[in-house]
Amino acid sequence: MLTRKTLLTLTTILLLSPIFGVILAEELGYHEPLDIVAEELKLNESEFTWTPLKDYTVPGLPEWLGYIICGALGVLVIVFAGYVIKVALGRREIEFSNS
Amino acid sequence: MHIPDGYLTPEVAGITLLITLGILLVATRKISLEKKSVNEKIPLFTALSAGIFVAQMIAWPIPGGTSLHLIGGALAGILVGPWLGVLSMTLVLLIQCLIFHDGGLTAIGANVLNMGIVGVLVGYTVFKIIQRISRKVWLSSFLAGWLSMTLAGLACGIELGISWNSTLPLYVMTSWHAVLGLVEGLITGGVVSYLTLKLPKTVWWS
Repeated sequence: MLTRKTLLTLTTILLLSPIFGVILAEELGYHEPLDIVAEELKLNESEFTWTPLKDYTVPGLPEWLGYIICGALGVLVIVFAGYVIKVALGRREIEFSNS
Repeated sequence: MHIPDGYLTPEVAGITLLITLGILLVATRKISLEKKSVNEKIPLFTALSAGIFVAQMIAWPIPGGTSLHLIGGALAGILVGPWLGVLSMTLVLLIQCLIFHDGGLTAIGANVLNMGIVGVLVGYTVFKIIQRISRKVWLSSFLAGWLSMTLAGLACGIELGISWNSTLPLYVMTSWHAVLGLVEGLITGGVVSYLTLKLPKTVWWS
């Protein structure tokens, strides 16, 4: 589903991602425009959570490593979804050609 | 720009969810009409979705203590077409929300509407319009990326503004994303130009 070149590019970005998503975020403490709005309007995020992988972390692992693992997991799920869609479209195509 | 739970009123969350579901239905129907060619686009769809997912994990620091991450809506629309682009962004946003709690469950309709629908359709439309005026791929995709992020920010600002009866979110979200959108434009322009040059047959519009 993914070419070797695409996989290499994705892996490189994944390995570099904790530098920007974890290390620099902690060092520089930067935030998104939505955080500015939330601060001004005093909005609070709901505490309710449904996943142990919240904010791309894996319980028990260093944040940078959890970030990479979560990224890899996300890519795997996307590839699986792409495979399912391709198979489903292929089956429909056969049904159409038979009818 | 992923809105978490608790930032939108139930009314705004519900309305945005209904609008999103309606547009996703239209997208699915449009795609099923061009079924044969869609099957050939699935590998690019998968690579694009994975690329956008990974690229969104990189938060770029901006002077002044702000950060941004790529949205990728314009990129998706330009590379695989508007409707498949909407589904690509929807897949990414669903995975981010359901597995990694990036964006709230109650705000999923708004998040898909802003980044997955406004981002893609604005980016695609701007790209097509500029292409009619100037054939320059980089310029068209740069403007598509910039306006895509700016209007996605505007949409987010409107939803928050209506929720809390304030004009502040509209100003903050639009102005910041108009500035940050320049980086989105640069990345979109760079990636589309590169792919057009190296893999012209895989790019939807060419």
